[in-house]
Amino acid sequence: MSARVRLTVNGEAVERDVEARRALSDFLREDLGLTGTHVGCEHGVCGACTVLVDGWSARACLLLAAQCEGAAVTTIEGLTPAAGLSPLQEAFRACHGLQCGFCTPGMIVVAHELLEGNPAPSEAEIREAIGGNLCMCTGYVTIVRAVALAARGRRAGG
Amino acid sequence: MTPAGEPGGWVGRAYPLKEAARLVAGRGRFLDDLAPARLLHVAMLRSPHAHARIVALDVTAAAALPGVAAILTGAQAAALSKPIRPLIPTAVPIGDWCLAADRARFVGEPIVAVAAVDRATAEDAAEAIRVTWEVLPAAVDAEAGARGEGPLLYPELGSNVVWHDTLTYGDVDAAFAAADGVLRERFEMQRYASTPLETFGCIAAYDAGTDAYTFWSNDQRPGLTMSILAESLGVPQSRLRLTCPDIGGGFGNKRRPAWLLVCALLAKRTGRSVKFVEDRRESLTALMHAAGGVMEVALAYRADGTLLGLSVRDVTDEGKNLVSPTQHNLIKLGNIANGYRIPAIRYEAWSVLTNKCPTGANRGIGKPFMCFAIERSMALLARRLGLDPAELRLRNYVGVDEMPYRTPTGAEYDSGDYHATLRAALARFRYAERRREQVEGRGRGRLLGIGVATSVEPAGTNLASYEIITGRRAASGSAEAAMVRIEPDGRVRAAIGDPPSGQGYETVVAQIVADELGVAPDEVDVARGFDSATTPWLYLSGNYSNKFSVTDTGAVVGAARRVRDKLVRLAAHRLEADPVDLELRDGAVRVRGVPGRALTLGELARTAYADVLGLPPGEQPGLEARHAHQNPLARPMDAARRVPSQLVFANAAHCCLVEVDPGTGGVRILAYVVVHDCGRELNPLIVEGMVHGSTAHGIGAALLEEFRYDEHGQLLTSTFMDYLKPTALDVPDIDVGRLEHPSPVTPLGAKGVGEGGAIPGPAAVANAVEDALAPYGVTVRALPLTPETVWRWLAASRGA
Repeated sequence: MSARVRLTVNGEAVERDVEARRALSDFLREDLGLTGTHVGCEHGVCGACTVLVDGWSARACLLLAAQCEGAAVTTIEGLTPAAGLSPLQEAFRACHGLQCGFCTPGMIVVAHELLEGNPAPSEAEIREAIGGNLCMCTGYVTIVRAVALAARGRRAGG
Repeated sequence: MTPAGEPGGWVGRAYPLKEAARLVAGRGRFLDDLAPARLLHVAMLRSPHAHARIVALDVTAAAALPGVAAILTGAQAAALSKPIRPLIPTAVPIGDWCLAADRARFVGEPIVAVAAVDRATAEDAAEAIRVTWEVLPAAVDAEAGARGEGPLLYPELGSNVVWHDTLTYGDVDAAFAAADGVLRERFEMQRYASTPLETFGCIAAYDAGTDAYTFWSNDQRPGLTMSILAESLGVPQSRLRLTCPDIGGGFGNKRRPAWLLVCALLAKRTGRSVKFVEDRRESLTALMHAAGGVMEVALAYRADGTLLGLSVRDVTDEGKNLVSPTQHNLIKLGNIANGYRIPAIRYEAWSVLTNKCPTGANRGIGKPFMCFAIERSMALLARRLGLDPAELRLRNYVGVDEMPYRTPTGAEYDSGDYHATLRAALARFRYAERRREQVEGRGRGRLLGIGVATSVEPAGTNLASYEIITGRRAASGSAEAAMVRIEPDGRVRAAIGDPPSGQGYETVVAQIVADELGVAPDEVDVARGFDSATTPWLYLSGNYSNKFSVTDTGAVVGAARRVRDKLVRLAAHRLEADPVDLELRDGAVRVRGVPGRALTLGELARTAYADVLGLPPGEQPGLEARHAHQNPLARPMDAARRVPSQLVFANAAHCCLVEVDPGTGGVRILAYVVVHDCGRELNPLIVEGMVHGSTAHGIGAALLEEFRYDEHGQLLTSTFMDYLKPTALDVPDIDVGRLEHPSPVTPLGAKGVGEGGAIPGPAAVANAVEDALAPYGVTVRALPLTPETVWRWLAASRGA
């Protein structure tokens, strides 16, 4: 059983026939080739597949592509400038806020969402924001530092 | 090897990851991102039973589903391939194929593989397969197995015990007879795993024209996997190519040649590329667990706390592990003394098969349990003697003036000041002050506890240690290979046989090469991952055993120096200069002190590759060198059965402060200090990240993680909703301090750092929780310390 779905992905209009059971994560990765969205558990716990749906973070493994009719989806590719890195991505690099890099896109999506709504998060607020995303490499310490650095940079940069 | 030159001093700098630019943008290339044309996807039908015989198997309905390309049963796999070679030969040869043919021996063991146009179709087909099972009693208790009781996994072996032996070093009986006291305890360790966020996966393709296979996999030990693939498929290694892309975490878990074999057989049958990627449940159920087990410790001591002797009885629950049983035992044996001077040691061990997931390498392999048993014992002994736990350790460490120190079991501690490490940790933790705060807090009803644990952390595995088990030597030593090349345009490229999984080798290798060749790290391109067709590699190649700092570095330095020496010969010839007057700096070979008399790497490369008549007489064209390095500490087993199972020892001290919630039993870590000494730090950013991450693994094992099986061998924790990993809300802001005692036996003075936190972490947290519960008289003998466990202790104590 398939359905026609129309949505916006990283600002571009997309129209596709999808199987009703097609997860948004598979749709993004396999149908659209946006492999920056990673799949770590497929049951909504690890957060690796986190994307923005209409500006709010969501787990692409727990959404069906067909549910996203009319939605605006933003993936890590949509948060990456055409040239270079965003200040948030640059902060992850500078602070060593990644090791294997598998959780990193999801971490950056939730950190982006946090900073959009809270320009001066406390450490506890940063930890709360990334608390639904698993990282098996860093112990989170440098990820927290990276988000804090990006927040300071945003404030300093106006 | 002479000490590394430091023209740019890049080694030792906190240089941010070169890899980060692609990874933070989602531009990594992980296994599941690869999609060759006409790709088929595999789903596995797995046993729902811990132990059952396959009475009948009907794949007719599944094969008829549209989109299904091929179905491979265990019986077919056994006909089409050879069994996977075990590292430890069994008494009777056992055929262990890539799929189970007649009998499943753990929940999740695959018996049929389906290849279809997409994963969903393959899963539909797997569900349509009809199996008639005869359920058999399951062996779930390794101790029963050690006693010769319980159902047998392989009746032809007559026992579930793969290995049982007693190893004695020094006069243990005399030590115990002379002791003022003996501490006896029994500890258990649960099964857990580091669970890399990317699951294991592979792609296989077959070329009928050349009878050759191409594989892509996030396999972290490709050297060994190549030999297994060749043997099982019956093709020479020259017709296999294995490529590792970016690997999303490994920690030892990322290996399963069997799944590559399944894909290879399906690729040959269909003529198409075939991909298998585990889902999370498959990974937690059937990839690899750290072995659990039981350890009984007897520690003989004098009244002043001096350790005289140690006797350990160790039962290891291997699961259905025919590939690498006894691995945990050998690693425990090599680290049994921890950092202490213990003159007499006895180790009696059983390696026991059970109907559970196969065990294998997991961050630290056996050392977290060994350290847990020793460091818990030290905490209990301190309490018994009325000594501060830090003081008891200081009285027993191997002294810095005793280095290098050979332990009774044959390990060589090359360098380090264990006293200084612990003292630095105590100071950084404000130990005395926190003890006072603990007393004050207790007065107000707060359950605060302080835990101390220290450990040694070896690097590099010496496979010669398997001679203890098998009585013969197959592989031995610890080695790695590397290549450095200056391209015809003067740009530097390097590759090593060790595929990284988050350790930043592209960065560190670039730093090392940059220093040797007088360029900047950004001017060195290091190959991503591994490719058996282009990367120099050995059977021993791979990302395991903390070995980068102790073997890979030597390979990189050696290859870079050969290229450097050739550059100098070329430049001396062209500049008509004496080689001793030349230096490599800022991308050129320069005559020291004569500005302008220099040739850039690009100019020299032109001579080497294009204008070859300009080469010195007898010099070959090209600017490329390969080098392999083996760590000099590895040695064979001696007549007293002493052998270093691991090499080059770093060390660390952990101090943590916890608070137990008396209402819920929840444990919160309020402060965590690590002081470690991994020799010369090649890149402090990466080193600190390793310490954070491995400590978080230790915390997870201490408080949350457990693969819990019921009495029927059913895994009760097979998702991340019940197999709990530490989140950012569980792991504190780990404070890391460091000492640097360079290793005298590694080319750059570096030691291992990847496993350090995971080894003493569980013991440190357990010691702190026990300390917090001191008013309740609790002794921690097993992990994890979940809220339920702690709450039950509190409730029992209150009820009593």
